[in-house]
Amino acid sequence: MMMTKRAPGLVRAIGGVGATVARHAGGMGILAWRTLAALVRGQVSLRDFTGQLFAMGVQSLPLVLVTSVLSGIVTSQQGGYQFTGSIPLYVLGSVVTSSVVLELGPVLTAVVVIGRVGARITAELGTMQVSEQIDALYSLGRDPVKVLAAPRILAGMPAMVLLVGISNLVGVLAGMLAARLTVGLGHATFFYGARLFWHSYDFFYSEMKAWAFGLLIPLISVHMGLLTRGGAEGVGRSTTASVVFMIIAVLVCDALFPPLFLN
Amino acid sequence: MIEYRDVYKAFDVPVLSGVSFTVETGETLAILGPSGTGKSVLLKTTIGLIVPDAGDVFIDGQSVFAADANQLQTLRRKAGYVFQNAALFDSMNVFENVAYGLPEGALKKLGRREVTRRVARSLEEVNLDPSVVLTKLPAELSGGMRKRVGLARAIVGEPQILLYDEPVTGLDPVNAVAVDRLITDIAERTHVTSIVVTHDVEGALSISDRVSLLEGGKLRFLGTPDEFRRSADPLVRAFADRQAAVEAALAGSARSSRMADAKTPVLP
Repeated sequence: MMMTKRAPGLVRAIGGVGATVARHAGGMGILAWRTLAALVRGQVSLRDFTGQLFAMGVQSLPLVLVTSVLSGIVTSQQGGYQFTGSIPLYVLGSVVTSSVVLELGPVLTAVVVIGRVGARITAELGTMQVSEQIDALYSLGRDPVKVLAAPRILAGMPAMVLLVGISNLVGVLAGMLAARLTVGLGHATFFYGARLFWHSYDFFYSEMKAWAFGLLIPLISVHMGLLTRGGAEGVGRSTTASVVFMIIAVLVCDALFPPLFLN
Repeated sequence: MIEYRDVYKAFDVPVLSGVSFTVETGETLAILGPSGTGKSVLLKTTIGLIVPDAGDVFIDGQSVFAADANQLQTLRRKAGYVFQNAALFDSMNVFENVAYGLPEGALKKLGRREVTRRVARSLEEVNLDPSVVLTKLPAELSGGMRKRVGLARAIVGEPQILLYDEPVTGLDPVNAVAVDRLITDIAERTHVTSIVVTHDVEGALSISDRVSLLEGGKLRFLGTPDEFRRSADPLVRAFADRQAAVEAALAGSARSSRMADAKTPVLP
């Protein structure tokens, strides 16, 4: 009896979530398509694009470096603790390199960019929406997709590729240094272990993730910003929702990568 | 000429319920009405910033809502829109904000010197000193100055239509009168078609050729300022005459205190 009473509500809730996801996915698809059209027609300002590339890439670098160093050190220390006395320590080089390049570098960089860039984009565009600045653009015959969305969405991918590449390098070097200081593993031995199980494809795999995350983060943040309604409270609400959506999207995308690209 | 033809719009509740009227070329029309009655929504439908559920708006015979993207852009370029809170771009200084009112690519086509000249001229037209405000950010301006910069941005592209959304709301009486005079001066000098949404009844009656009153999403009155002052309609009287407004408010609150289920004061 309880089940029959609950079932319609549950079905309705699942249907509601499905409809919301479909609506957002459709909105983002249209946004991506219009961005691509603006790019092909040469309607994206190079100045706006490079400005966004600087804000997303160069200005995120310090925080990405801190995260990369710490993740490299932690991975190395935990591996050293587990391997000492049971597994040859040169394997640590492989574990650190693979963990950082395949997973930690792209995902932690994405989390940093979500917090630093994604949240800012949603709050910025949301504020523009509720203060009628987006309407002002339309009234002046400008298309906000070309002026605001396209430079941000297009800058996300190269910025992430750059950041993930640097994050991988710094994370591995930090892990190598930590291995020397904590378990006394020399650089040569560390690299021997790293090369033993290394595939060149791992680098492309990592950068493919960077491209995917670099598309998802600005796409979701711009989409949520332009959907904002309801004053300062609305900006807060849409920024929180945007960060949640971005984190879930990145993690789901990350979970889809191994079955799609590692088999 | 702007023609509103049977415009309907509902959000959670109906806002516009079949509004039809025409604004002649060169005319200044004020739109008055109680708060939340759809004045700003109607203004935004003029250039397609809000899409109505039914009905259409025609600018010089061209449908706003049947227009393709290029036609809509052309229609929008015919109009200048002065937003309630100016809607200046926060990240741009006054020069960049006003220059944004020029057609896309103006800097390349006209050159920086000509763009600067046009921006300075527009700022002077709204009684702002370019040498003082040109490099300031919107956050560094007072409310009155922001409204004027918003007006300068709207007129710099020499539009044929000017749409004002509560241009004097939030201004002190001196600045409010100054903005009203600017609206009149611009209309007389450029023969632009103007629609002014406002709560300032005295200002509306002094600047407009005709006055309209929206109530409950419908057009309740449309006529000259003299006809507005002489109207026997109780709501129009409440707007035209402060004493009548006080009586209407008192009658409404007395009635609502008697009626436990009454949600809003009812005007006679």
